[in-house]
Amino acid sequence: MSSPALGSARRPWLLLAPTLAVIGILLLWPMVRVVLLSFQDFGLRELVRGGAEFVAIDNYRDVLTDDRLWRVALPNTAIFALVCVVLTVAVGTLVALLLHRLSPGWRTLVTMSVMAAWAVPAVTGTYVWVYLFDARAGFLTGVLGQLGLVDVATQNLFTERGWFYAIATLNVVHHGFPFVAVTVLAGLMTIPTELPEAAMIDGANAWQRFRHITVPMLRPVFAIVTILSTIWDFKVFTQIYLMPGGDGSNREVLNLGTWSYITAMSQNKFGLGAAIAVLLTLLLLAITAVYLRTLFKEEEL
Amino acid sequence: MKSTSRAMLALAAASALTLSACGGDSGTDGGSDGATDASGETLTVWIMEGTNPDPTPFFDEVSTAFEEETGATLDIQFVPWASAHDKFTNSIAGGTGPDVAEVGTTWTPEFGDAGALMDLSDRIDEAGLADGYVGSVLDSGTVEEAVYGAPWYAGVRSIVYRTDLLEEAGVEPPTTWDELVTVGEALKESDPELVPFPVPNSTHTTTPFIWGAGGEVATQDGDVWSSGLDSPESIEGLTFLESLAGEHDLSTPAASTWNEADTRDAFARGEAGMIISGSWTPKSIIEANADLEGKLGVVPIPGQDGGMAPSFAGGSHLSVFETTDNEDLAWTFVEMMTTGEFAQKWGEQTGFFPATNDLLTQLEEADDPLVAPFAQQMKDGSATLPVTPLWGQVEGAQTVPAMMESILGGKASVEEAATTAADEMNEIFGS
Repeated sequence: MSSPALGSARRPWLLLAPTLAVIGILLLWPMVRVVLLSFQDFGLRELVRGGAEFVAIDNYRDVLTDDRLWRVALPNTAIFALVCVVLTVAVGTLVALLLHRLSPGWRTLVTMSVMAAWAVPAVTGTYVWVYLFDARAGFLTGVLGQLGLVDVATQNLFTERGWFYAIATLNVVHHGFPFVAVTVLAGLMTIPTELPEAAMIDGANAWQRFRHITVPMLRPVFAIVTILSTIWDFKVFTQIYLMPGGDGSNREVLNLGTWSYITAMSQNKFGLGAAIAVLLTLLLLAITAVYLRTLFKEEEL
Repeated sequence: MKSTSRAMLALAAASALTLSACGGDSGTDGGSDGATDASGETLTVWIMEGTNPDPTPFFDEVSTAFEEETGATLDIQFVPWASAHDKFTNSIAGGTGPDVAEVGTTWTPEFGDAGALMDLSDRIDEAGLADGYVGSVLDSGTVEEAVYGAPWYAGVRSIVYRTDLLEEAGVEPPTTWDELVTVGEALKESDPELVPFPVPNSTHTTTPFIWGAGGEVATQDGDVWSSGLDSPESIEGLTFLESLAGEHDLSTPAASTWNEADTRDAFARGEAGMIISGSWTPKSIIEANADLEGKLGVVPIPGQDGGMAPSFAGGSHLSVFETTDNEDLAWTFVEMMTTGEFAQKWGEQTGFFPATNDLLTQLEEADDPLVAPFAQQMKDGSATLPVTPLWGQVEGAQTVPAMMESILGGKASVEEAATTAADEMNEIFGS
């Protein structure tokens, strides 16, 4: 306070320095490294002995001209993410609306059971779903068989792209909706009760109240949960990799995450794997940017 | 400082001499290899999980002996096979590798050629072990004269079957491919719930049928390898394998995503009649399900019209990582594990064959019904996968499992899948 001019210019940077250093080391450097890698011909030999060569955009050209990107990895990633985000946000919102109406005691009980789904680690959760859909002894395979949806004698659901991703969707939505529910519930609680009451007096039904009061008021909350879900569901890896065939033996179910990992780690083509990872990141950034822009434009109107 | 280390070296030389005298080695100069006084130091070792059903007592004993000999302590860490390849790669990237690691024989050329493993040829020569190790296992770790792994143990796959179920069905174990079908169908008839012969997607349960029909996984011409998966012989073998699952319905749809361990689990649960399984597995199968004690039989994998279909003789090397700080200590450990008492014990406890000629001969002469057929297969019906640094990439790409999964899942015909797989393999080989 007593030494104004000089100190005040430096002080913010001084205060920010530790944070910036941590972010720089933990976040920025690995990202820079991945981008650098994606322009190199980097294999196991280079990993051990160093001396990787820069190959300009060769890796990107290889990825972008690979049939597997356009026919398998990209559609699997994008469609899966789209379905998962829509379902996660929808289910999460419905659960939040339910929680909002419950009495405090019931609310605690339901919140706790919802939290349980969230608390289960992805690995454990995936194995539970795999077990439930096991081709020989899975409980849910049996149910589907009884319903005549699956021929238990000849089908292994995990080998079929559609079923594989349906199971993965269940897994991811089940794991992801609690976060949405809790966040939206927090938003719902901030809406002053006068608004829906006034609307009710004016004769608005439940849907109209949701559409014209809840949604506009919770727009920022929906923006956050949608963006976060999009990011999570686009880069989903564990849940796919751990399913039978997901580690690369079933080529039809590769997504960008597993494809990148398998290319880099199992085949030691680190440059190529990095290129896939960079493309995935760019795609995510683009989607997030477009989404944010439309959102804020609407708000301005 | 200098004089102490020299004194230590002298001590080391002396103890190494005594050691090699105990081991009955002759003609080696024990000066540079062998024990070092390394008290206070720790040697980190990665061992694959699951080879020995109960490895703790074994490694306790090894640690004690190692500490007595060198003063150094052992830090044994267990790594599951399924994640080991990635773990090696990650540790090389991070510089966090162990001093010594068990490396699958098909991976050794890849990691060795990349410079991650130490060339052990001089030490093996010095120790007089060049002719002591089983040739094929030594060769599988050798790239251009450099030996990147000391042979530790080897195993081979044959058919493990349920004696009680075959008896119930009134059939003898198969000796030809036709008999494999008849036995399977008889098993199915006597118990419709049973999976007579699961066909998983794993490489090592697939190759016997390729080799059995006269095909090759890959052939070498000069420096270049090219895939043989799409040759008429290979396709004949694969077509037969597919017919076991398809036409004859001896497998289960679930098996199309099974690996060898999944298949073994199903067998251990009593759900399968015959499986292709390794010489090391009967013990762990009985361990998992004591009810199967006395109900297991082993027969070499039948050839198309009799004889044997070759199966993959795989195993492990012990390799020293290039990043180790203590080469001598590492080699002492490797030599201790791969020869003599501990190699023999490891073999007895795991059902693997020790990789020294002396010990293998002893086993061939023993007449254990769960060992002898495997030994026969090892001697007369075993084959190796291409010994090239690039093979690790083929395994990493899961070329063969992907081929089998698409065949078994009905995604592609045998010809289509084999051609796709051969193309992929050739792309990796650069041919």
